[in-house]
Parts: sequence; structure tokens; C-alpha cells
Amino acid sequence: MSLCHPIMWQERQLKLLRDEIEAILVPLSEIAGFSDLIKQPLTQSRQGLVIGSTKHDPWPLLPLIVCEAISGQYKHALPAIAALQLLRIAAEVFDDVEDADSSMSLSARYGSAIATNVATTLIILAEKAITRLKRTRVEDQTIIRVFDTINSCYITTCIGQHLDLSLIPGEGVSEEKYLKIAYMKSASTLECACCVGTSLATQDQELIEIFSTFGHNLGMASQIANDIQGILQGSDIIKRKITLPVIFALNQADYRRRNILKRAFDNSTESAPNLTQTRELLFRTGAINYATVKMEFYKQLAQDSLAEAERTGVRVERLKLFLE
Amino acid sequence: MKSQALQELVKRIFSDEKTKLQFTSDPDSVISQFALTDQEKRAVLTAYAKLGLVTSNSQQLEAALKPTYTWYSPIP
Repeated sequence: MSLCHPIMWQERQLKLLRDEIEAILVPLSEIAGFSDLIKQPLTQSRQGLVIGSTKHDPWPLLPLIVCEAISGQYKHALPAIAALQLLRIAAEVFDDVEDADSSMSLSARYGSAIATNVATTLIILAEKAITRLKRTRVEDQTIIRVFDTINSCYITTCIGQHLDLSLIPGEGVSEEKYLKIAYMKSASTLECACCVGTSLATQDQELIEIFSTFGHNLGMASQIANDIQGILQGSDIIKRKITLPVIFALNQADYRRRNILKRAFDNSTESAPNLTQTRELLFRTGAINYATVKMEFYKQLAQDSLAEAERTGVRVERLKLFLE
Repeated sequence: MKSQALQELVKRIFSDEKTKLQFTSDPDSVISQFALTDQEKRAVLTAYAKLGLVTSNSQQLEAALKPTYTWYSPIP
């Protein structure tokens, strides 16, 4: 494995991934309107894979990088990585239908029926993509394992989404429950990506465990980083989203501050929350500090996994980029 | 992961000026008063070394969030 300039290897791998997804979408190309609809969520920057652009967002490459770090090869894994990308985007389209909180989403622009059909199609395309592993000469036993890993992960994601949707507004959420949902909805997909990348590189169960743990902890750290950004940018305050720093502050702040925060995050209140005051209180109560410590906690655990993998001879340089 | 001791530690630092001062001059002496796991202690010390006590937005905080945030945006 040559360690050329990061942008160069990202570009090369992203191009191959885009080509793979384009090939998977070929059967839809005869019906232009539908094909364009399917491509729309794929072309939004949030998804990390902008077809036909040179944007460098390497998240979709994580399982490829894991695979290459272990075996020195990654091209045979492309169909599975494309499947993961399609499933992630399907989950986001469904999430937008369920949450109905984005004016830019497919469901907001075309209605929930069209969006649901697009998301369903993306799932079927992902299943088709996994079968393309046969073309890259992956053994049947490994293909079945990849299928099982991905399906198990997305069952977890669906349960996490159910738990999230079932939360009763105004009822307190414990940190334990929040972290459970964060794992199921979010971190499990990174755990899955790393597990798939490893499974396509080796049958060594110990390495599969090490990289699954790495993905889990990377996912938790990413979720918490996202929570902190949501406060800094104000988007989660405006949406009155109960995230880790908010849970800390609601549980630990003194009576006066807690009441102000309760009002700010009360969904039944019509007036908009005071952005500056709320953000300031989350700093003053130590909530943001607490969240950064928790983020660091998971990052350190992810680094421990990489160190463990390195001891077995895996070259983890590129994976460190996700943490540093 | 239950982290009651970690919550208590951060709460104490941010609600008691004396503890805050003690933490900034000798973090270990404050940390040792709480039943943190080894990983939690390491996380507290690493986060403090990188960011100090986080009391407002800063370039360091943005920089600390950047790798994971830009690499991956969780489903909201």
C-alpha cells in the first residue's frame, strides 16, 4: 500500500466508488425522471458522496480504507461499500420523511409517497450491489457474512430510530438512554462499515472485533462532536433537540439555570428559544466541557483499537486521520 | 457507559470556583477525589490538555471537532 498524498488516494477511491454506484444505477437509466430522483439524495453534500463532483469527503471510504489497511487491496470491496452508501442515503430519506423537519428534503419537495418509494428503491439497489461482490470474486461465504452484518446493523438502526421516535416530548431523557439511541441510530452504522471492510480483507475474527470496536467508538465520538456543533451553530437549540450537552445541563445545573434551559428546550413553548442565552448557559454549566470529555473518551478508545491493530501488522496511518 | 462520577467532577469544577482553580493548577488532585475509571481519567486529562476548560467557543474547540465532524455526519 503506497501512502501517496491524501487527496490523491481519496480522489482515486471516490472515483471508483462513484463509478460503482453509477453502474448499479444503470437499470434505472431508461426512466429519466425516476433515475434523476434517485440521484438527488446522492448529490447532496451531507451524504458524503457527490456524484460527478470532486468534493473530498472521505467518510464513505472508511470501509475501503479499513480493507486496504489490512489486506493491501480494496477494489474487490467496492460493491459492498456502494451498498453501504446507498443504505445510508435510504436511511436519511426515510428519516426526513419521519421527522419532516427539512425543507430541502425529497419528501418536502415531492411528497412522502415519492420519497418513500425512492428510499425503498435505494434499499433494493443496495441489496443488488452486494450481489455484485460475486463479480469481484469474493467467496460466497464472505458475501453471506457481509449480507448478514449489514442487515443486522440496519435492524439495530431501525430499532434506534423507533426508540428516538417514541420519546415523549417533555419527558426527561437519561444519558444512558441517549447513548443507547446514539449507538443504535448512528454509531452502529460506522461499526458496520468497519466490520464489512474487515470481513472483506480477512477471516481473522480478532481483527474483525478490533475494527468493529474502532467503528463503534469512532461513531460515538462523531455523534457527540455533532451534538457540540449543533449547539455552537445553534441549529439544535432552534430545533429544541435534546442532545448530550443538554441532558447534562438539565440534570446538573442549579434550579434557576435548569428552569431557563427547560423552557428553552420545551417543545410546547411557541416562542423561539434565546439562542445566545441558551448557548451561554450550556457553556457555563460545564455541559459543553462535559461533552468534549465524553467525545475524547470515545476517541481514546478508538485510538486503542488502532494501536491494537497496528501491533498485528495492520497499517493504520490513514485511519488515524479520522481521529486527528 | 454510566458516568456519574464524571458528571459530578465536571459539575463541581463548573459550580465551585475553588475546585476550578485547584483543577487548573493540579488536575490530578481534583480527579483523584472522584471514582473515575482509568479511561475517564485519561479522557479528562487529554481533553484538558487540548482545550483547557471549555467555557466558550474557540478555534481549539472547532479544531477538536473538525476531524470527526467533517468525516462523518450522523443521521439526525
